[in-house]
Amino acid sequence: MPDPVLQVEDLCVSFTSGGVTADVVRDLSMRLDGGRTLAVVGESGSGKTITGRAIMRLLPRGASARGRIVVAGREMLSADERELRRARGSDVAMVFQDSMSALSPYLDIGAHIAQAVRLHDPSVTRRAARARAVEMLDRVGIPGPADAVRRFPHEFSGGMRQRAVIAMALVNRPALLIADEPTTALDVTVQAQILALLRELQQEYGMAMLLISHDFGVVGSAADDVLVLYAGRQAEYGSLRDIFDHPAHPYTAGLRAATPRLDARLDTGGERTRLRAIPGAPTSLRDAGPGCAFAPRCGLADQVGERCVVEAPLPTVRPTSEGGGLHLAACHLDRLPATQEVAR
Amino acid sequence: MSEPILEMTDVSKRYRTAGGFGRGRKGFLAVDGVSLHVERGEALGLVGESGSGKSTLARMANGLVVPTSGTVRTDGQDVARLGRRGLRRLRRNVAMVFQDPLASLNPLQTVRQTLENVFRAHGETTSTAELVALLESVGLGADYLGRYPHEASGGQLQRVAVARALALKPDLIIADEPTSALDVSVRAQILNLLADLQRDQGISFLHVSHDLAVIRLYSDRVAVMQRGRIVETGPSDEIFRSPQHPCTRALVEATPEAELPA
Repeated sequence: MPDPVLQVEDLCVSFTSGGVTADVVRDLSMRLDGGRTLAVVGESGSGKTITGRAIMRLLPRGASARGRIVVAGREMLSADERELRRARGSDVAMVFQDSMSALSPYLDIGAHIAQAVRLHDPSVTRRAARARAVEMLDRVGIPGPADAVRRFPHEFSGGMRQRAVIAMALVNRPALLIADEPTTALDVTVQAQILALLRELQQEYGMAMLLISHDFGVVGSAADDVLVLYAGRQAEYGSLRDIFDHPAHPYTAGLRAATPRLDARLDTGGERTRLRAIPGAPTSLRDAGPGCAFAPRCGLADQVGERCVVEAPLPTVRPTSEGGGLHLAACHLDRLPATQEVAR
Repeated sequence: MSEPILEMTDVSKRYRTAGGFGRGRKGFLAVDGVSLHVERGEALGLVGESGSGKSTLARMANGLVVPTSGTVRTDGQDVARLGRRGLRRLRRNVAMVFQDPLASLNPLQTVRQTLENVFRAHGETTSTAELVALLESVGLGADYLGRYPHEASGGQLQRVAVARALALKPDLIIADEPTSALDVSVRAQILNLLADLQRDQGISFLHVSHDLAVIRLYSDRVAVMQRGRIVETGPSDEIFRSPQHPCTRALVEATPEAELPA
């Protein structure tokens, strides 16, 4: 087996404020190979964004990470600033939801990309870096790249800006791309184009992609494997097929049931169907008790009883469908009932 | 058959743009000759991409946006002919729910104050019992009366916003992306709540959303907007089963499915 591009072992992230330290992410492990996409799915408080930032070592003030993060063979948590600067951009790059805040309003698009090139390799001349920028804009499908390099972020539409940000992130061919809700702010037609572009570039460069998303639709069209987070912990991990067709965690099944689908197979014959909602609201690890964080919202917790409230379940191996690979779920129930009464 | 709760005939809205910057001196035509109606008790879904004019169109229903031309008849009245008092009476009957409850609720007012203000604005008084009943109708307990917006979650706040809309027993609720800012697991709660209000209280809905899957499940009829015009309209199932207009088709095809290929 080749070395994974990303390996995370027992990652914990905690925040300290007013002398109090609290975990927001606990005991997270994952492994991601080149050319594969792992989707990290979660809602508010799940810790999905902070996990992405921990991998980049871009944690906000007051936050600290423990455990082990290896990106392209480099230990990220013990790396010094110089090593980190080298890693960011070359080994791992990031694309955010809001492209406007990822770009400086004072620099033209070309300057952003050229800067990334020269930070990575100072021996590249300005002129050559500028030429790389034009090439890269062309590669991400921006029409008239020679003219586009001179444009400023505000002159681009949201979709074009996101393409420019992708060009900036990928110009040094990182081994890992972390995409944090890369299409959430975009219209669906543009979203589909950006997802297709990311897939295409991933195949071309053989890079690994960590796709952080709240949207099962996006996940379904982009991911190979899925990690579902709830309140800072791993709820379920598995191949896309296992997560979608054989979920083993009540939260995963509940999220699927709460997601509206356009699917023609769901034709209702004029009858109005309702989504099955999960009662209550998502919580964070800080507000969770000693037991399973999902237990207060779980329709199956009663079947298990006391244990859900007092003991946090650890991820255990679950059955996989054909060619499914590793399937883990952190639930005291061995298997979900066939017709899931997931929500109370 | 009774008169539609909302009837728009050939309405247009041109926004003036400053000094010829941006879209030129002629301004920007946000809504271009649209005719549309919402029957009593019906939920009409209005979909389209950003900039298609759907929010502008929705806001013309209660006079928040004044059309450049065309007529808007809400609850049988020509909105353009209503004076200030008339508009105030109209807005009793046509309530709104917005995308971000944290932005649409006053952070310095408790839920009780927010709800009381609605009654006061229309010269009515209310009792605690009435307010509690109102909160219960949206699935919140009496303890919420004393809370400030920052003391509640996004889903709970959107319930408060729905309670505020329901306060004066409207016939029509305009919901502009009412669940777009909410977590997936909570979104379904609010959508089901709105569907219950339509079914149990016969309230009509004009539901604006960019999310086709939401509109499909929670609307009787759908209107698709593109560049200020309605390009396709029809029963929800039909529109999504066999979209006719290229714009609708593009939207349907681009919507990612939380479903593996069969």
